[in-house]
Amino acid sequence: NIDPESLLPKLPSPQDLRPFPTTTATIYKGHQGRVRTLNVDPTGVWLATGGDDGTVRVWEILTGREVWKVKLSEDETVNCVKWRPTKESAILAAAVGDDLYFLVPPIFDPETEIESKRLLDHGFGTAANVQQDPTKKTPPGKWSKPMDKLVEQGVPVMVTVKMTIKHIAWHRRGDYVATTSPEGQNRAVAIHMLSKHTSQSPFRKSKGIIQRAEFHPFRPILFVATQRYVRSYDLAKQELIRTLQPGARWISSFDVHSGGDNIIVGSYDKRLLWHDLELSTKPYRTLRYHEKAIRAVKYHQGGLPLFVSASDDGTIQVFHGKVFADMMENPLIVPLKILKGHKVTQALGVLDVDWHPRECWLFSAGADGTARLWN
Amino acid sequence: MDLDNPEQQPQSQVQVKFVTRDPEISVPTAPILVPSNLKRLGLSQVVNHLLNSEKPIPFDFLIDGAYLRTTLDSYIAENGLSSESVITLEYVRAAVPPKFLTSFQHDDWVSSVAASTSTQNRDSVILSGSYDGIARVWNLSGEVLCEGAGHQSAIKSVKWIDGDHFVTSSMDRSLRIWRYTSSSAVDASLKPVAEYIGHRSTVESLAVNAAAKHILSAGADGKVGLWSSVPKESPDAPVVDLPARTKKRKLAQTGPKVVQYGALGMLQSHTEPVSGVAFAPQDSTVAYSVSWDHTIRTWDLTTLALVDTKTTQHPLVSLCSLKTLNILACGSSARHIVLHDPRTSAAGVSAATLRGHSNAVVGLSANPANEWQLASAGHDGTVRVWDVRASSSGNLFTINRESDGVASNEKVFDVEWSSVGIVSGGEDKRVQINATPRE
Ligand SMILES: [Mg+2]
Repeated sequence: NIDPESLLPKLPSPQDLRPFPTTTATIYKGHQGRVRTLNVDPTGVWLATGGDDGTVRVWEILTGREVWKVKLSEDETVNCVKWRPTKESAILAAAVGDDLYFLVPPIFDPETEIESKRLLDHGFGTAANVQQDPTKKTPPGKWSKPMDKLVEQGVPVMVTVKMTIKHIAWHRRGDYVATTSPEGQNRAVAIHMLSKHTSQSPFRKSKGIIQRAEFHPFRPILFVATQRYVRSYDLAKQELIRTLQPGARWISSFDVHSGGDNIIVGSYDKRLLWHDLELSTKPYRTLRYHEKAIRAVKYHQGGLPLFVSASDDGTIQVFHGKVFADMMENPLIVPLKILKGHKVTQALGVLDVDWHPRECWLFSAGADGTARLWN
Repeated sequence: MDLDNPEQQPQSQVQVKFVTRDPEISVPTAPILVPSNLKRLGLSQVVNHLLNSEKPIPFDFLIDGAYLRTTLDSYIAENGLSSESVITLEYVRAAVPPKFLTSFQHDDWVSSVAASTSTQNRDSVILSGSYDGIARVWNLSGEVLCEGAGHQSAIKSVKWIDGDHFVTSSMDRSLRIWRYTSSSAVDASLKPVAEYIGHRSTVESLAVNAAAKHILSAGADGKVGLWSSVPKESPDAPVVDLPARTKKRKLAQTGPKVVQYGALGMLQSHTEPVSGVAFAPQDSTVAYSVSWDHTIRTWDLTTLALVDTKTTQHPLVSLCSLKTLNILACGSSARHIVLHDPRTSAAGVSAATLRGHSNAVVGLSANPANEWQLASAGHDGTVRVWDVRASSSGNLFTINRESDGVASNEKVFDVEWSSVGIVSGGEDKRVQINATPRE
C-alpha cells in the first residue's frame, strides 16, 4: 500500500534554489531592428551587442548606457559578437556577413588598448613571411586591414571567410577562434589563429549542415553540431570521439558545461536536451516547455548551477542544473522561472542569451530591438 | 486621562511603556495603562500630555521595528500577544513628507549630485555631474553658474571638498580637482587644478574627508584609490604609454590641460568593481568599501592594509555611513539596503534589511538633521526615505521624478540629502530637489 508519488524523488522548491533571475533590471535601447547577439566582457563591466542594423554596440551594464558603437555593414546583420576570454586584452570578435572583425573598443585603459592592438597587429609580420604553397588549397580565411575609416574607429583587423558566419567561439587561451558558416559544407568550420593571421579548415568531408562549433572548456576537444547530431573531435589526434544523438530535428544551439562532461542542446523543434556525456549518447533529459523554436541555450559559466533557454515564443526559461562531482550522482534539473518581457516581433522572440561571468545576471537579445538585463 | 472617546465605557486597557532614543523628548518609562483602542493619534496625545508640551509634537510609534498603523487591540490580536503583557512603544517625531521644490534640466543623464550649503558670503549651490562629461554648478534658481569640461567621458561622481574645491570622477578612469570661485550670486568661475590617474577602469564613486585632506575613489577595476585632496601633496603620476589617438579622440580632449598626479595608495582586494567608498565617521584613518563581489571591506589608511571583509548575499552597488549610529547602509542590485555594523566584533553581517525598491539601489545619503533617516536612489525611478528604527515598515516616503509635472520611471543615479533638501539626479537628465521641512 505505497503511494507511488512517494517513490518519486522530491525536487527542491525554487525558493530554496535562489538566487536566479526573476525580473528585468535594465533595458538596452538603441539598435534599429533586431538585436541578434550579445556577450559580456571577461571583466564583467561591459556588454557588447550586435544587430540587424549592422552595428556593434558596447553598453555600461547596470545603467544601460551605450558607450560605443561602430557600423560594420550598411546592409548585413551582425550575427555574433564574442569577447576574447582573457583579461589582459579587450578584443571583441564580430561576425558580419562573411567577414570576421576584431574590434578594440576605445573605452579601455591605455595599456590594455596597446596590448590588444599589439596582439592583433602581430600576425601581419608573420603572415607576410609565409610563402603561398601553390599545391595547397587557399585557406578559408583571408586576413587584412579594414578600410581606414574602420581602423580609426578601433577595428584593426578583419578576416574574410567565403560564407556567411553565423557563430564565433574563442578557445580559452584566446589565440584560436572557430567560426561556423552553415552554408560552407566541408569548410563550414574554420579555425583562425590570431598570433599568425592564419586560417584553416579542420574537416575534409561534410557530415551535414553544420550549425555551430564550441571548444571544450579545458581539453583539446572541439564540439560540432549539425542539424541532427553533436560530435566531439580530438583536436590533437584529429579524430572523432563521440556522436551525440539529441533526437532533435534541427539543432539551433548548444553549450558545454564548465565541467566539460555535460551539454545542453536547443532545437528549432522546441526541444531542450541535456546530455550527460558519461551516461549515454542519448539525452539524459528532454525538456519540452517552449511553444516555439529555441534560439539559444546557455549555462552559467561562473559557478552558479543555472542554465537558460531562449525562444521565439518570447520567453526565457530558467533552470537549476547541478552537476555533481560524484560520478554516481546524476545531474539535478529543476525548472525555476519563465522570464517574460521581450515582445515577439515578426514571429521572432529572444535570439540570444548570455550570463554575467560571475553574478546571477542574465542578458537577452530580442527581435523587438532591445537587449535586457535580468536579475 | 480623558482621551479619544470618554463616553464609551468601559474601555479595555493595556499596559504600555513609552521609550525614545531622543533625549529632548523623553518621558518616564514606567508602564502606564492606556485604552487599547488607541491608534497613533491618541498615543501621540498621551505622550504630549506626559511631556506637557505647549505646542503638540506629532509622533509615530514603533513596536519591534515596525510602525503601529492600527489600534493597539488589533496589534495585540494580529501578533498573538497577551493583553496582560507590557507593550514597549518607541516614539519618534513623525516625519514630514518631502515636497517637490524645483528641477534643473541638463542635456544628458545626471549621474551625480552634491550640494554646497550657504555660508556668510555665499548662497547654497548645487554641483552636478553628467554623462556629457561636464560638471556644472547651479544656483537654486536653476541657473548654471559655471561649467567644467575636461573629462573625456561621462562623469560618474562629484563631491565638494570645501566651499572652494570639488572633485569629479569619470568613465575616463581619472579624477579631477576643480577650484570654484564665486564673486556674486550669478557670477562664478571654475578652474581645473589637477588630474589624478591610477585607475584602470571607470571611477564609479568618491568620498571626501576634508579634515584629513583625503579622497577615496571606487574603481570598476576592483581597486579603492586613496588620494590627497591637495594636488601639491600628491605623488607624481604613473608613466603610461598612450595609444596612438585617432582624430575623433583628439577632438574629445577639450578644456585646458592640467597637471597629472598619482594616488597615495591603490587598495586591492575586491574581485569585482568597487561601487562605493566611505570614511569611518569617528576615525579618518579607517575606510570602508563595497563591491559587486558582495563584500564590505574595511581598510586601515595608515598602513593601506585590508582589516576586515564581510560577505553579503548580493552584489553591492552603493554605500553610505550613518555617522552617529556607526552603521553602514549598503545598497544592492537585488533591490534592497543592508544595514551593517562595521565593527569587527559584530556578530552578524547584517543588522537589518530595508526592502521596498523594485530595482537596484545605486545611491544612498544620510539625513544630516536626523541620524535615523536616509534617502536612497533607485533604478526603479524613485528616491525613498527610510527610518532605520522602522526597518520592517518599508520606506517612509517615495519621491517620484517630476519631469514637466509628469511622473516618469527613469532611473535615479544619485541622491544627496543636505540642508537644501533631498537632491537627486537621473536618466531624466534632471537634478531634482525635494524640500524636507524640519519636523
Ligand atoms: Mg555525472
